[in-house]
Amino acid sequence: MTEETAARAAGLSGIRDTVTVRLPAVSAYLSVLRTATAGLAARLDFTLDEIEDLRIAVDEACAMLLPQAVPGTDLIAEFELTGEEMSVKVEVQTVTAQAPKRDDFAWMVLTALADDVDAVTEPADRMAILLRKRRSAASAGPGDRA
Amino acid sequence: MDLKLDHRTEDRLTIVEVEGEIDVYTAPRLRELLIDLVNKGNFHLLVNMEKVEFLDSTGLGVLVGGLKRVRAHDGSLELVCTQERILKIFRITGLTKVFGIYASVDEAKEAHGKDK
Repeated sequence: MTEETAARAAGLSGIRDTVTVRLPAVSAYLSVLRTATAGLAARLDFTLDEIEDLRIAVDEACAMLLPQAVPGTDLIAEFELTGEEMSVKVEVQTVTAQAPKRDDFAWMVLTALADDVDAVTEPADRMAILLRKRRSAASAGPGDRA
Repeated sequence: MDLKLDHRTEDRLTIVEVEGEIDVYTAPRLRELLIDLVNKGNFHLLVNMEKVEFLDSTGLGVLVGGLKRVRAHDGSLELVCTQERILKIFRITGLTKVFGIYASVDEAKEAHGKDK
């Protein structure tokens, strides 16, 4: 993660940070993660609509993972902020990782709101969903808030 | 914010007031309320979502489940929603064609009255 981040060019805003949030893998904490997502997206000057899209996308990704999480373990969300885009990897510990259903509402919403989405089910005791959203040209401002 | 639920019946139409966030944590409470209302013979439901601040696919699933239950009794489940950020989720999933969606409770009541 760190090496990959370092290899990327800093974005217009100059921000190039990695933020990791670790929470108990239970649904009661999803609202906390949504709030963190919104705060980080705002730091990149995403529009209000884009911030809402990210909040929902991260929520959907986690909602897909939580039923597979081993009780008592944590959900780890890694946010990578690189100027024009935010990449998020949410991951839980599982017993046997199962690929998410690609024909249900959750996947439909997630893939509609994020620019890129992928699910990682290897190794079998971990499951992760990666999503990425780029800031629209309309939201790119001249200010450098790094 | 948590989820607040309330309901009242007006002219055979049961209006469910929903306020707050509907996600995987809170959606089971809405599901239980809808099931309870149907089990008690309320087959025409209007869910007012004007004060809903967040909705994800779990919430959609609960509403679709409620719709299936009332339809089994020849009933209806319709929505009041004007918030673009909430409507967007219905559009993405194609559910705007499944639910009757109204701009206000009065508008929905009027439409319901005409259908009777």
